[in-house]
Amino acid sequence: MGHTIAEKILGQHAGGRPANAGEIVVADVDFAMIHDARAGNALKMIEKLGAKSLPHVKRVALVLDHYSPPPNMEAANTHVAMRAFADKYGSPLYDVGDGICHQVLPEGGHLTCGDLVVGTDTHSTTYGAFNAFGTGVEGTDVSAVMMTGKLWFRVPETIRIELNGPLQPGVWAKDVTLTMLGKLGAEGANYRALEYCGSGVSAMAIDDRMTLSNHAAELGAKAALLEADEKTFAWLKAHGAAAPKPVKADADAVYAQRIVIDTATLAPQVARQHNIDDVVPVPDVAGKKIQVALIGTCTNGRLDDIRQAAAILKGKKLAKGVRMIITPASRAIYLSAMREGLFEILTAAGASVEAAGCGTCVNITGHYIAADDQVVISSANRNFKGRLGNPKSEIWIGSAATVAASALTGVVTDARTVAGGDWRAAA
Amino acid sequence: MNIIKGCARIIGDEVSTDIHCSSKYLPGKDAAYIATVAFEQVAPGFAKAFNKGDVIVAGKNFGINSSREQAVHVMHRMGVAAIIAPSFGRQFYRNAINNGMPVIECDISGIVAGDPLEIDLAAGRIAVPAKNITRAVPPLPATVRTLLEAGGLIPFLQKHPDWNVGGEAA
Repeated sequence: MGHTIAEKILGQHAGGRPANAGEIVVADVDFAMIHDARAGNALKMIEKLGAKSLPHVKRVALVLDHYSPPPNMEAANTHVAMRAFADKYGSPLYDVGDGICHQVLPEGGHLTCGDLVVGTDTHSTTYGAFNAFGTGVEGTDVSAVMMTGKLWFRVPETIRIELNGPLQPGVWAKDVTLTMLGKLGAEGANYRALEYCGSGVSAMAIDDRMTLSNHAAELGAKAALLEADEKTFAWLKAHGAAAPKPVKADADAVYAQRIVIDTATLAPQVARQHNIDDVVPVPDVAGKKIQVALIGTCTNGRLDDIRQAAAILKGKKLAKGVRMIITPASRAIYLSAMREGLFEILTAAGASVEAAGCGTCVNITGHYIAADDQVVISSANRNFKGRLGNPKSEIWIGSAATVAASALTGVVTDARTVAGGDWRAAA
Repeated sequence: MNIIKGCARIIGDEVSTDIHCSSKYLPGKDAAYIATVAFEQVAPGFAKAFNKGDVIVAGKNFGINSSREQAVHVMHRMGVAAIIAPSFGRQFYRNAINNGMPVIECDISGIVAGDPLEIDLAAGRIAVPAKNITRAVPPLPATVRTLLEAGGLIPFLQKHPDWNVGGEAA
């Protein structure tokens, strides 16, 4: 009987033989991350245990991204404690403005194909885009990694999702993940790993593949794994990662479910207010008025997302009454976007650009609050009622292309119907 | 703690512990306060009537979505002996075990409030002797049982820094 990517990676880290779905294994963790929304209590607890018991602390990154910049004294004090901890123990630290954990870990060369990576954040599934088993855990788990370098895992069953054909211009990985959410429902893949495969994945750039793995968190997935290819190897090499140990699924691997999506004919999708699985094709709801447009987060705040927005808004102005905020996912993306002149285009169009961080995802920093009855269209991952600080506002979720096209017109708009909406980076 | 005996206390499907058993949306309130009002919105009077040693019998996906470890700390304060449910939210399941709270996936049909339950973690069995209900569940692996006995992951690792619990392979 064959094995899935998840079974193989967990098995390789737990003694060597492939593990079987349902088993509980104790596995060596290659890298871990804790961010500022979880570090406060965890670091206090870890300090109590003493330095002698932290032999693996250097493979745990500390990331200051959620409270970036800190909106209150508690967060500011947590940041000071995190910096002091990193100085004392030698953990890598990413400071305010460096970017979101899921962006800075791959950019920092901290992971490669075949790795097992955990982070105190549900979107740690992002690392699956690089053929690494990435999953979300809590502060206690990260403490255990610092102490022993290991964690226990329940080996997940896997859902295999084949993406049939390259996406059309104006259609992005986000439209695929929204389609999956409409199909399976939020938490529809609870406990399970996803494996995305097929020509639709091969055609995607790395930025888009990261969206595919990232947004699996809303499906409840434990991991979302892609096979590695030349694009993966080139990206990892360019970012200084260790030599890849790519892992493929066996042809006779056992899957809990198989799904095929005809990505070649897929239309842009949006999730309507409050429920991430209330998903409809953009053409069905085109014309719905919006007042706030947000591009950013670990789901869609990457360079290709900002390039799409600039392609659509070049030489144009935002629709009257619309405000738009761009939050790059990392300092590296911020610098690239500046060098490419994207911020000049977006700023001239009427958008504001903010420092890299989790930014507009959730009302943590307190400056994205929407007014009563306002409709926000966002490239983020979640749209729970009140997530942006006002339960009387609505949050709709789409790709960066859908957000930029809607910011241009003032209504929910299919990017395929506006100039520049067909932008895609040359392969 | 291989055998747990306690009375059933019922909670419905898809209950988020972030919303109903933490201070995530009640800033400034501590675990002691949350323990007096936990699950009030989904099961009025739940915390008030909860007796130390009772077992939470929940519907599907208990602890769904994001889940803070604080929820388990609150449940320890309430005196929760174990939780059984047909399924758990992934992060909650992990947090429960890491913080020494037994969680067992099990068919809960036929179990009503107040039923005295017997849970055998090693053998993998849940029973309501008074009703002649006996259900087999996958026994928890030795590693997890030892972790629960130690009171959670950190106390476990202080005793077993090599994760080796002897006998059954980890």
